[in-house]
Order: sequence, then structure tokens, then C-alpha cells
Amino acid sequence: MGENPDISKLLRMKRYEQPPPGYFEDFVQEFHRRQRAELLRRPTWKIVWDRISAIAPGFHVPQYAYATIAALAVCASVVIISPRSISPTNTLAKADPGVPAISLTSRPVTIGDTLPVSARADGSLPPHYVLQARPVSNEQPLSF
Amino acid sequence: MPDEPEIPDEELVARTRAGDPDAFSDLVVRYSPRLYGLVYNMTSNHEDTNDLLQEIFAKAYRSINGFRGNSSFYTWMHSIAVNMTINFLKKRGRRQGMSLDDVDSNIQNDREFIEITSGNDPRHEANLSELQQRLNEAMQKLSHEHRAVVTMFDIQGMPHAEIAKVLGISEGTVRSRLFYAHRQLQNYLEEFIKR
Repeated sequence: MGENPDISKLLRMKRYEQPPPGYFEDFVQEFHRRQRAELLRRPTWKIVWDRISAIAPGFHVPQYAYATIAALAVCASVVIISPRSISPTNTLAKADPGVPAISLTSRPVTIGDTLPVSARADGSLPPHYVLQARPVSNEQPLSF
Repeated sequence: MPDEPEIPDEELVARTRAGDPDAFSDLVVRYSPRLYGLVYNMTSNHEDTNDLLQEIFAKAYRSINGFRGNSSFYTWMHSIAVNMTINFLKKRGRRQGMSLDDVDSNIQNDREFIEITSGNDPRHEANLSELQQRLNEAMQKLSHEHRAVVTMFDIQGMPHAEIAKVLGISEGTVRSRLFYAHRQLQNYLEEFIKR
């Protein structure tokens, strides 16, 4: 199947369609000229890469290496950019589950907003308050 | 004095990889006439063929480190040439350009040519350029894939198995493409074929 003698004979005549004499000698010269021109145009990183490849011909970047590096970079960015999961509110709630959490607002915080955190049973010290994770007291500051 | 034995392709490839620029030049000299025929008969244009052939060898030179030797260098080079030519033809679209001035004059002395073109019926007597033009037109009517098979089999005389390797298809597919392409060409060139 597939061979038609008449058509094949006609097509064989196309073997005679050749370029002008001397063409192939010029072709090799032209190839060298283009190779030199391409070398001059090549970016430096490509030349360096080619040299590295030539030095270590067995070195090949694994197929999924680029995808893995990209995925790791995305994961790292997410971890860095995302807000910290530990907030003052959570710290307070963890420290004393019985104490309601104080939310952070833009409103100025006053003493009245705070709740007593601890006080000694003998009452020797005044009660302490926590204001945005900073200990506060209703004592007057010392002045000399 | 006997001719020097031809250096095997594999040795020239190894020397090219080792950085010997003359080795690849030898491969260019060895393969350019054959690949010229392949590309020209697919494009039907000498200028396109020249540019494309330069690009084909440049691509082969750049990729020679990737040549693993699973196939022969001959098959590898032909695969590059066919793939690049088909891509080029797809880009070129329907633009057709034929240079019919470069016909080798030897064709007029070819016994096969005279036999085919000189029948008793004067309608079968076709002049060279007309026949060549019709042949090129007929070839251009084939799909790129069919044209590649016809070029390699009928014009270059490659066996089915080699064509199958170059195109990465089965021998059965090569044969069926040839059958279909010959039928199309026969319809188009009927008046030039003696009955």
C-alpha cells in the first residue's frame, strides 16, 4: 500500500532541483558567520550557564525543581506577610481563662476600662490592673 | 591513493561536544545537501529553504548536548529539520513562493524524465517548467504532514521505518499517509502521467 509508480517517478524528478553550484560551500561560511554573530549577541548569563553545563555535563536541574522553589517561596511569603497569630488578647485569655478578654479598640483606654488582675489576700498591696498588657496602678507616681 | 574512511557521525558529535568547532562544520557539510532537499521540497522556495536550513543547523548545534544517542544522528537531524519546517509552514500560512529558475539542467537529459514526459499523445508533452510548477503546486496542496512523508519517501528515497522514526509515528501511519498523498497527487497530475 502507498506506492504509486507513476507518481513516484514524477516525484523523483524533484531530486534534480538543486541550488546553484557552490551554494553548499557558501552555506558553511554563512553558518560560521551567523554563529559568530549569535555569540556576540548572547546575554552574559547564558554564556556563563553554558560554561557551567560544559564543565559539569552530568548536572541537570530536576524537572520539578523550579516549581518546588516557587512553591516554597510562596509559602515563605505567606508566613512572613500574614499577621501574627499571638495577640495580647489571646495572651490574657490564656493567662486567666476566668477573666474576660479585653479587645483592642481605637478608643482611649482609661482606668475604668481595666479589670483587677491580682491582689494579695492580706491587702498589703493595692490591686494591680492590666492595661493593654502593661501593668498599671492607681498609686500616685513618686515625686521628689 | 584510497579515500580516507569517513569519520562516523557519533565521533563528530562527541568532538563537537568536546568543543571542536571543525567537527560540527563537518556535520554541516555532510548533511546540508540532504536536508536542503528535504526542506526545499516541503517549502518549494529556495530563499526560505536557505534561512530555515541555517536555523536548523544552529538549533542542532545548540541542542547537541541534549542528543542522547537513542536514535542515530541522521534521524535526530531529520527530526529537527521536519519539525522546524512544519512549524515554519504553519506560520507562513498559505503564502506560496516558488523559485523555478534554479532547475538543474541535467533534468532534461534524465532518461526517466524523458520517458515520463514524452508520450505519443501531444497533450502529454509538457515542458520542464510547466511540469515542475505543477509538481510544486500539487505538493503544496498536501498537508504539511503528508508532504513530509512524500518528500522523504519519494524524493529522498528513505525507507518507511526511517520515516516512522523521524516523525515518531508507526510504519502503518507512514504507509497510509503515503497512500492518501499519492491519490491526491495523482488526481492533480493526471494529465502528465502516461496511461
